[in-house]
Amino acid sequence: MSVVSVVFGKELRDALRDRRAILSLLVFPFVGPALVAGMLSTLVERATSERQVRLPIVGAERAPGLVRHLEAQGIVALPPAADPVGTVRRGEAEAVLVIPEAYGEALRAGRTAHVELVLDDAREVAQPSLRKIKSAIAVYGRTVGTLRLLARGLSPELVEAVAVDAVDLSTPEARGAALLHFVPMFVLLAAFVGGMHLASDATAGERERGSLEPLLLTPASRRGLAFGKWLAAFVFASVTVVLTMTATMLSLSRVPLQKFGMASSFSLERALLMLACVVPLAALVTATQVLFASFARTVKEAQVYLSLMMFVPMLPALFLALSPVRTTLVVAATPVLGQQAMLASLLRGEAVEPLAFALSASLSFALAGLVVTLTARLFRSERIVFGR
Amino acid sequence: MIDVRDIRKCFGEVVAVDGVSFEARDGRITGLLGPNGAGKSTAIRIVTGLLAPDSGTAQVDGLDARRDGLRARSRLGILPDARGLYARLSARENVRYFGELAGLPRAALEARIDELFALLELSPHADRPVHGFSQGERMKVAIARAVVHGPQNVLLDEPTNGLDVMSIRSMRRFIRALAAEGRAVLFSSHVMQEVAALCDDVVVIGGGRVVAMGTPDEIRSQGGAASLEDAFVRLVSGAELGEVAR
Repeated sequence: MSVVSVVFGKELRDALRDRRAILSLLVFPFVGPALVAGMLSTLVERATSERQVRLPIVGAERAPGLVRHLEAQGIVALPPAADPVGTVRRGEAEAVLVIPEAYGEALRAGRTAHVELVLDDAREVAQPSLRKIKSAIAVYGRTVGTLRLLARGLSPELVEAVAVDAVDLSTPEARGAALLHFVPMFVLLAAFVGGMHLASDATAGERERGSLEPLLLTPASRRGLAFGKWLAAFVFASVTVVLTMTATMLSLSRVPLQKFGMASSFSLERALLMLACVVPLAALVTATQVLFASFARTVKEAQVYLSLMMFVPMLPALFLALSPVRTTLVVAATPVLGQQAMLASLLRGEAVEPLAFALSASLSFALAGLVVTLTARLFRSERIVFGR
Repeated sequence: MIDVRDIRKCFGEVVAVDGVSFEARDGRITGLLGPNGAGKSTAIRIVTGLLAPDSGTAQVDGLDARRDGLRARSRLGILPDARGLYARLSARENVRYFGELAGLPRAALEARIDELFALLELSPHADRPVHGFSQGERMKVAIARAVVHGPQNVLLDEPTNGLDVMSIRSMRRFIRALAAEGRAVLFSSHVMQEVAALCDDVVVIGGGRVVAMGTPDEIRSQGGAASLEDAFVRLVSGAELGEVAR
């Protein structure tokens, strides 16, 4: 055990004096979440700006009732544009409403009154505004229609033969999680990024600089050496995960998620549960990194292997995005996929079985122990010691 | 005491050492002399336990280098061919790390480091990070690190390679002091003057075999030459001619 702590202490001290190791520890936690928060902010802003729709109306004086209704719906009526088609084409307004002279007469006579909405359906950004304008006009039309039926002593139900009552099961948290589904990927990536530099420096780096052979010639057990190096990489990765988690919480708390109809229930308890889920994975990831890097002759070669490993957390993210699975015990126990599924559940505001946590964590640690033992065996092989 | 019995090691088709036997006795300096590629480093690596011989045994104070590796290594101080230091650590931290790995208690370790640095004239640089060190200073740190745990047997693979005269002299003094303390010192070199200046016993290796063994005087007479260098050249080229004839 003391060999482990000696190696652990030396690797930490060495890495803390290495600017590149510190950079890989610090850069990711602050860049990743800032990116997520930035993207979310723009989405939220775009969504809230939809509330204020500005609509130039030609002939507003012919339809005072409709204009009042539109304004009550949060649509700001603007003075008429001289050239409605040109205005929309140039993008000066998202749409222009034209009320023809015959409007008032048709309405009074109980016929269908036509209004003209000049719009450009191909403009993606205008869609939310157009949807809002169209539905506001439709609601006004239905209200007037209902009044007409009532005035003739008929029930409005006669025309509405079938009505859909949607029962929306998504909680506000679940709606938010749809947007936040890349947060788990960032937190998982942190487990891959944090220990990467240390893992390759402590193995391939030692060989490259000619200090691996002297180290293996000391009267210290290979097991102790391997576990000490792994432990140092594991601590670095865990710190990166905690920092990423903290930075994510802080930056998300600055995003006005509530405006978007999401309750940002990013409680401390939930964050701790997410950590409990990812930290054991970091143990397995760093153990694998130390093993792979031990095969490499140079740090550069090791970093190629370890960068390829970063695709691993992205695969389940794609898989889960395409076909969401229920977090069964089998899923939870599968490394990486399990953590991703559990993180997604936690973000959706669902509860995760304690058994799933326990299973996933103990499996990760057990596998990590196995992989480190394998690395210790490698250190006995001539091929590994002398770099082939 | 290091005892090597009839070791043989092949790398693919190449026979690196072929039935080599020798011993390095306590209190004496034994030189392993041979041209580059003669099998010196392979023989040394077998004694350290990093390489397993295809046949034969290497023992350190009666412990098998491979089967009983951990205990054998605790009785061995090794300066291998690769002598990389941790550039971001100071000289003291480099040596301390190896002392801690050998399980030395803290106070005894610090005293031992002070003693070694004084002997090797490293004390003024003890707390500087080693990345600014000269070749000679690096070698001194590497050798201090190799013997920090006070091993009974010391293995040095070409310890004077690339050093200037001053460093070579201080290294020789250090090696003599180790033997005077009763330790068995085995060192390999391809430099005749080194061996002539230091060794009590010489083992000449050529083409993976021992071609001569004895004190420097005995080697000279075996080679039928006045100088050790002439004897060495004759012995080694004889061995290599024999290799071709076989």
